[in-house]
Amino acid sequence: MSALRRRTDAPATAAAATPLVTLVVNGRSVEAPASRPLARVLRDDLDLTATKVACGRGECGACTVLVDGRPTMSCVTAAGLVRGPVETLEALADEATDLREEFADAGAFQCGFCTPGQLVHATALARRADELVGGDDLPGAVRARMSGNICRCTGYQAITASVCAVLERRAAGATSGPSCGHADPEEAAS
Amino acid sequence: MSYVGSRVRPIDWEARTRGETRFAADLTSPQHLYAAVLRSPHPYAEIVALDVSRAERLPGVRAVITTADFPEGITYLHRGAPLSDRPPLAAGVVRHVGQEVAAVAADTPEEARAALRAIRVRYRVRPAPLTPRDALADGARRLHQRVTDEANVAFRLDATWGDVETGGRAGTTVVEGDYVYPSVSHVCMEPNTTLAAWDEASGTVELWTSTQAPWFIAKEVSHLLGIPHDAVICREVAVGGGFGSKSKASEHEVLAAALSRKAGLPVLLELSREEEFGSNKPRHRFETHLRTSADEHGTLRLFDADVLVDNGSYSHMGTSVMRVGMITLGSMYRPDGARFTSRLVDTATQPGGQFRGYGTPQVSLAVESQVDELALRLGLDPLEMRLRNLGPENETTLCGYDVTTSRLGDCLVAVREGLDWDARKTAVATGAAGGSSSRGLGVAAGMHGSGAYAYEFANRSDAAIDLFADGHVRVRHGSADAGTGQNTILAQIAADELGVDLADVEVLSMDSERTPFELGAWSSRGTHMTGSSVGQAARELGDQLRALAEDKLGGGPVTLRDGRAVAPTGEVDLGDLVGLSDAAEGDVLSHETSYVLEGTEMISTGKDRFNLSPTYAYAAHGALVDVDRRTGKVTVLDYVAAHDVGRAINPTAVEGQIAGGAAMGLGAALGEELVREGGRVVNPTYLHYAMPRSADLPSIRPVIVNAEDPAGPYGAKSVGEMSIVPPGAAVANAVRDAVGVRITELPITPDKVVTALAEQEGRRRHHGLWRRPGRWWVALLRALYPYGLHHVLHHWGTRLGRGVGPAGHRPPAPPEVLRPGNLDAVVAAVADGAQPIGGGTDALVERERQSRPAPVLVSTIGVPAMRRIRSEDGALLVGAAVSLAELEEALPPELAFVADAVRSIASPQIRNSATVGGNLAQEKRCWFFRNGFSCYKRNGVTSPCYAVTGDHRFQHAVIDGHRCQAVTPSDLGTVLQALDAEVVLQRGQTTRRLPLADLYDGPGELALADGEIVQHVVVPVPTSGRRGSFRKLALYQGDFATASATVTASVDDDGTWHDVRLVLGAMAPTPWRATATERALEGTTPTVAGVRRLLDRELDRHAHPLPGNGWKLDAVAGLVEHAVEDLLAQ
Repeated sequence: MSALRRRTDAPATAAAATPLVTLVVNGRSVEAPASRPLARVLRDDLDLTATKVACGRGECGACTVLVDGRPTMSCVTAAGLVRGPVETLEALADEATDLREEFADAGAFQCGFCTPGQLVHATALARRADELVGGDDLPGAVRARMSGNICRCTGYQAITASVCAVLERRAAGATSGPSCGHADPEEAAS
Repeated sequence: MSYVGSRVRPIDWEARTRGETRFAADLTSPQHLYAAVLRSPHPYAEIVALDVSRAERLPGVRAVITTADFPEGITYLHRGAPLSDRPPLAAGVVRHVGQEVAAVAADTPEEARAALRAIRVRYRVRPAPLTPRDALADGARRLHQRVTDEANVAFRLDATWGDVETGGRAGTTVVEGDYVYPSVSHVCMEPNTTLAAWDEASGTVELWTSTQAPWFIAKEVSHLLGIPHDAVICREVAVGGGFGSKSKASEHEVLAAALSRKAGLPVLLELSREEEFGSNKPRHRFETHLRTSADEHGTLRLFDADVLVDNGSYSHMGTSVMRVGMITLGSMYRPDGARFTSRLVDTATQPGGQFRGYGTPQVSLAVESQVDELALRLGLDPLEMRLRNLGPENETTLCGYDVTTSRLGDCLVAVREGLDWDARKTAVATGAAGGSSSRGLGVAAGMHGSGAYAYEFANRSDAAIDLFADGHVRVRHGSADAGTGQNTILAQIAADELGVDLADVEVLSMDSERTPFELGAWSSRGTHMTGSSVGQAARELGDQLRALAEDKLGGGPVTLRDGRAVAPTGEVDLGDLVGLSDAAEGDVLSHETSYVLEGTEMISTGKDRFNLSPTYAYAAHGALVDVDRRTGKVTVLDYVAAHDVGRAINPTAVEGQIAGGAAMGLGAALGEELVREGGRVVNPTYLHYAMPRSADLPSIRPVIVNAEDPAGPYGAKSVGEMSIVPPGAAVANAVRDAVGVRITELPITPDKVVTALAEQEGRRRHHGLWRRPGRWWVALLRALYPYGLHHVLHHWGTRLGRGVGPAGHRPPAPPEVLRPGNLDAVVAAVADGAQPIGGGTDALVERERQSRPAPVLVSTIGVPAMRRIRSEDGALLVGAAVSLAELEEALPPELAFVADAVRSIASPQIRNSATVGGNLAQEKRCWFFRNGFSCYKRNGVTSPCYAVTGDHRFQHAVIDGHRCQAVTPSDLGTVLQALDAEVVLQRGQTTRRLPLADLYDGPGELALADGEIVQHVVVPVPTSGRRGSFRKLALYQGDFATASATVTASVDDDGTWHDVRLVLGAMAPTPWRATATERALEGTTPTVAGVRRLLDRELDRHAHPLPGNGWKLDAVAGLVEHAVEDLLAQ
């Protein structure tokens, strides 16, 4: 199978002509062609396949990774335009243990294809829990912030509830707290 | 403990939430080639010549296949003769845009895609019907030779059930109408993907494929390749959603297999999102004409229907989808009779397939809408009306269903209680919502089977259980868990039956060699069929273990618990019993069994009533909606979904199925629809297909009406499909309740609501074109479009011009991406011809459609000076490379309305990357342009604007449209004009300052000189007393504006307005100032109604809408009303 080029063998064919840039991915320095979409660098070159590609156009959030701590669509981010260290779910999973457990308990994933992107985004929100909790409509705020992550299975109900629960627990510094999946509909409308 | 009935975590939660679960495209072994598929660009054409020789010679190309690589005349089996009609690759004729013509396997994805361009196909394009009505018209081309006596009718089903005569006489109140449920896409998050590995020595092919039913994949692939069924070996792999679409072949599996066979190497074929939307098999569109009657007591007496089902170009499951849809008339309620005629009509569009709900949502929309209309006429509460018409338990329905238990009445009561129905009904009736927003309540009910005896052996499920000597258990089944939680409930069942810890149970699915016979996870059969077979296998294995333990322990009775067999005389670890069994092989004791369902009937000819399923699930959904009468926007505020699922084996999973199905149904109710132009899907992207995002949905509240069904297993019924049935009618009924208009065609988008309300209120606009000579030329062109101009430009004009996407047979060179650290370097690169970009999120996508994309991209984001926001002379100087997220964070309270606008743009992730300059400069908004149609702007002047005759309801200009109807999409470009913002442009060392209003000279087109870039934006910060508001109508959270309005004014203490700015977005090619209204408001104390009157007059004077987008004038005027209200309240 020497004819096959895949994963770690070589980057894209013609990409060799473009200059290489250095990225820091999950704490490790790697080189990638500047024009190559970050999602392909992660998946094909580094075998970091937690990051999914469902549209390739920056429209669905399955490819969400953190760049300098900010959720970013890796499928439309050229490696040359990455402005900071990259974190993928592989590196965030331990930090996100409470989120992952809450997702599992609440039914916040079904097929699981969008889940890495959801968890990466939620991890970024959880780091800012103090700032987010305390507003008058946490579920509404979470829904607005998570609206770049499409899920076709769950109807977002359990995802929202899980993220809210973890944010509240983190903000309280406690291990348990009230769940807040159901907004008061009258409030939500106003 | 009992796991059945408990909320346990998915058994693979740890791997799934760590991203360790491998989907087909994640597999690194075996190493493989990449495939790409050449698809038809025409809805109907004869293939005159097909030459792949150039493609075969290209470097990197390993195999090219065409119809010649398959046995002549072979077709997919699907539902069987005479309706097997689809070849694996087009054989001489293409019948829909997107049909597979050829496929390539190459070393890289880029080489595979480039090789497609080297395949020469000569098509002879022929006219063909694209809608059922056209297909039934005299002289329409027949797409296939069918066995019915009507042209293009693939299948016709007529039936009369019950006592139609009596029903007809007794039904004194009658409603009649036409209802349309559109073609919607499953939008599984994982695109269809297959990794195929042919083994020449054994003549077998291994498949890692995203499917719900490996058996059916093996059936089709083996048939098409001419190899035995068991030579197709499916392997277990994660499946990213199915919703019915993956319950049969998705037409890419066999291409991967055939390519692998020809190349002699493994091949990965992963469909793109555009292929998923544009080529795969969506829900069948139904046009239902229904007449329903009831007597004076509110008892339903007769359903009488005439239905057209759009089959698309090939027959897949259309016959049974139509049948199941029609069954709705005779299943849930108990009228005296039901009568229908239904036709499955061939059209030259993408074929319909299997979709969650399977015909029921479509017909339910009609039935449940009319039950409400009857209730209204009879003065009954619609929920009460349904309670009066419940079908009885333990009886046979009109359609032949032998119903066991039904808790539909309890579901309805749960909705009544959950929504506080009675109190809210009173509140709604007294107009408690007030203002421009109206609230309404709606309810709809539904019913669905638990498995269907649709094929031979569909009443059978086999399963196996392995007990290992270390005590752990493995369930083996041949179905697939595409996200339903099936593997988890099977593990729960096995753990209970064998008395072991759930953590000690693993599940192996899908594997053709290692799992027993099972047809798969479709037709809501997972819980009943596979649940029953696994339960039976575990029980029977348990019997063996109890017997072994009784022998060993010297007495019984033996119970299995905590991983041990326990008798009064002692106990033993289950694993220790393995070695005692003669049936054990090595350290494993296996037991396989076959569950055969009795009492159901297989669909057969000559009959029209069948008991298809062992048990039937019910549901009632209730919606509270808010309808904005000004903009037509429908928002679901609260949603209760009460389900009779029998006993929930895993309540968390059941609630997930309920909420997920309801959300999907709400998507179809409010936004989703595959829109086609000339048979081609114009919205094949998430950007343009309006499916709900998190913020678009209410809190959906699932209610499990606890029950127990004797048919089981463990008292359970199905749930996965039921939940998508009621939402369409529940929302339509709630909208009717709120504003008094009945929308009969989904999705209930703002255009339909606004149009219906205008009709209700008798409003019409007059644009006086006869006295506006400046518009006569455009009006003439538009008038000529349907009379041949469009045809000529489309068929002949598009052959000239720049083209769409890359040309040539080699992969296009990737662009050089530069990120210099200083402004001079950016300017120098742009002067040399580089394309300036910001975060690149729009540019990288857009270049895929460009015929000559820029070879060099230079980004501004590395320039510190361009990433700053400074305050100077009462203005914010915002560098062009500032991200939208940074801008939002930096805006002072006086500019809160600008922050509102920023937050409405795209997604948070995009706002983290996208820049201010990039937003202002982003490409025009038009779904024809953005999705690669050879249009006037994309291809050149000889090409048509597809918006003129195509669907232009949401995106296109109503003012000043010329040959192109597109608009400037930038919300920033709109909102900042209301602040008199300016842009500073730089070229070389020269800078100039330009009012933002002068930046645009066309839709998404900037008035920049060659080599000029946007350096920064000057945003005046309002002084105290100046107020502003931004309002936007969009189809989903983050969508481009369908319309937007920004109003700013300086307001004196006495309420007088000065320096008014009123900027409308998405109405004209560039952001549009309502200057006459602005002037008229100067120095006045406006009222909402007064502004509306002024604006309407101005809009009437300037607008030149297309036939389908005049409603946007009402909507934008409504947005202005909202904004004025905001200002008055500030």
